[in-house]
Amino acid sequence: MTLTAARPAGTRRRPARSRSGGRETFLLLLPALVPVLVLSVGPLLYGILLAFTDARSGRNTETSFVGLANFGDLLADGDFWESFRIGMVWAVSVTVLQFLASLGLALLLNQDLRLRGFARVLALVPWAMPPVVIGLMWRLVYHPDAGILNAVLGTDVDWLNDFSVALPAVILVGVWMGMPQTTVVLLAGLQNVPKELYEAAGVDGAGVWRRFWNITLPQLRPVIVAITSLDFVWNINQFSLVYVLTQGGPGGRTRLPMLFAYEEAFRYGFFGYAATLGVAITIVVLAVLGLYLWRQMREAD
Amino acid sequence: MRRWSAALAVAAVVLAAGCSSGGGDGDGAASGEPVKLRFLSLAWQKESITANKQLVDEWNKANPKIQVEYVQGSWDNVNDQLVTSFEAGDAPDVIHDDSPALSGFAARGFLLDLSSSLPSELKSDIPQAAWDTVTFGDGKGGQGVYGVPFLQESQVLYANKKLLDASGARMPTPDEPWTWDEFAEATKKMTKSGAYGVAWPMKSPVNKVLTLGLNFGGTFFTTEGGKTRVKVGAEEREVLSRIHDQLYKDKSADPSALGMGTADPLPGFFGGKYAIVPAGVYLRQQVAEQAPDGFEWVTLPPLKGVTAEQGATSQTLSVAADSKHAQEAVKFISFFLNGPNQAKLAKGDWLLPTSTSAAADPAMTQKENFWDVATASAKNLVVAPYLKVDGYDEWKSKVATPALQEYFADKISLDEVAKRLVEEGDKVLERYGR
Repeated sequence: MTLTAARPAGTRRRPARSRSGGRETFLLLLPALVPVLVLSVGPLLYGILLAFTDARSGRNTETSFVGLANFGDLLADGDFWESFRIGMVWAVSVTVLQFLASLGLALLLNQDLRLRGFARVLALVPWAMPPVVIGLMWRLVYHPDAGILNAVLGTDVDWLNDFSVALPAVILVGVWMGMPQTTVVLLAGLQNVPKELYEAAGVDGAGVWRRFWNITLPQLRPVIVAITSLDFVWNINQFSLVYVLTQGGPGGRTRLPMLFAYEEAFRYGFFGYAATLGVAITIVVLAVLGLYLWRQMREAD
Repeated sequence: MRRWSAALAVAAVVLAAGCSSGGGDGDGAASGEPVKLRFLSLAWQKESITANKQLVDEWNKANPKIQVEYVQGSWDNVNDQLVTSFEAGDAPDVIHDDSPALSGFAARGFLLDLSSSLPSELKSDIPQAAWDTVTFGDGKGGQGVYGVPFLQESQVLYANKKLLDASGARMPTPDEPWTWDEFAEATKKMTKSGAYGVAWPMKSPVNKVLTLGLNFGGTFFTTEGGKTRVKVGAEEREVLSRIHDQLYKDKSADPSALGMGTADPLPGFFGGKYAIVPAGVYLRQQVAEQAPDGFEWVTLPPLKGVTAEQGATSQTLSVAADSKHAQEAVKFISFFLNGPNQAKLAKGDWLLPTSTSAAADPAMTQKENFWDVATASAKNLVVAPYLKVDGYDEWKSKVATPALQEYFADKISLDEVAKRLVEEGDKVLERYGR
């Protein structure tokens, strides 16, 4: 009875119904939203807020707003900018090398090799290892006396403690660690390139190199842009690997920005300033990434 | 605002996930249940862990009302771990650490002032010089004792006996130690093709340089009008330039040993590549255990400059200010660090006990493994000025470690290293004076 009576009214009042539907949707979303708000948005806002205070570790400290003072200190902090420079060198070189190596590996794994399935699984192995385990493993590889690297090369280099070799040595581990994700994504992209294009190019007499340059790369472009930007963000935010491998040493030569911020907060107890560092790093990363994506988009048009 | 830092600390603990939780049943004692204490121990040598655990077991058997849980920590990250657990209010009740770290924690109010609660027999068993290494400002203008010092380390020399005898250098004794000049001469004589007189492992150069610096009266810090500044004058430069001379002028020290940690030159030492390795007394354990058959080694007493004084840092046991069972924690510490127990711990770690009754233990003065030389060197230990400097840790890791490493690698000159230590150092210390 009510049903039939309500029906015509309901059709007329569709906007109202959809509004109440919106409320229902919101209620249904709530279980998913609450954790996001509590665990992600909340701490983020809190961190940003903290960046404008002089919060310090201690039982009897008082925190007050200091406005932009932390940012002023940051601009004058030579140690931080040195660490930031190291972070950029690290993130750019790891991302580029990772991309080149992964592209090669993906092309190889895309061929009709024997035991291809097995090889693909092998290529994924580093992905299954936590960064701390990778760090410990490579520390053994690099060990000056007992390490396999010195044994194989017949050298006597203390890889992780030498001022000039430490950063490249850590970069190598970073490349190794990040290769699986990049390889898998590129491999998926390669498998989406239509075979007809290669056949057509083959008919036109294009060689392997020509086909790679004029078909594979342009077809992969969206995938490449996506994975390199993601890699860049992951790499500049890398912490655990370097913390385990070198703890920022020797003499700060591998002190990535995240490690620097961690030390400010949990070693020296300057929570407010550490939060400022976090905010500044985020801003710079967003700017770099925005510029890169904008250029890629423009070129793609 | 206070709540903020608490909330941050909670987030930090979730992130760090390094601290165990629970165990805090506050009114357990009243209801007849045993009080539970957590004891964070940093013992790492096998014998030392055994000694620590044995003492804990002994205590637990004798005190059913106060049960102590042994929690294993590590020197590598103990201070990061403590910052997070202090902020979260969940620190272990009894904390093992060393005196350089206590100053900062004391100033921030994380540690309990023990000056009034320690029993007098423990107070009198440990000399005042050792108590000075744990006496710090409380961050509010007062002074307090923030730990019980129990193991100390002095820097000695380990020598290959055959090479030393062949060099014809005088055998030093605790009463008549080598001067730095004699040391330089001896290492020059012991340097031959493929063999160096000395290996300076300088992976962590700062504490070593600062403690040896006192030989020539180098304090590295001065405090005037409540403001601490870094100082690198003629006294401070002595040890720096003497080590540098061995490396590049006399060429009696191997530059490739510079990146090594303290124990890393041992294979070279056993192989005759290095005649002398300077290191802390605890290294005797590794030397004694790892030396190949027939290898003869001696422990030489600390070097003498103007004096033979070295900076004392002690390992300590402290009580967290947030501990719900502070009294029980102090009782446990008093038991754990009494004379006989300190002797056991010192033996386990091959370090020097602060307790005078433990130092008189025959095991501490025996000839075997040069305990006599090691124990005699304790008289040279004085309070190092850097212990009292708030911000020392940041100065050490940001400024001093890279600067000293570059200096010893001959990348910068003595004037440059001095300038960096002072100018960049003062900037760091300024943050803590605010």
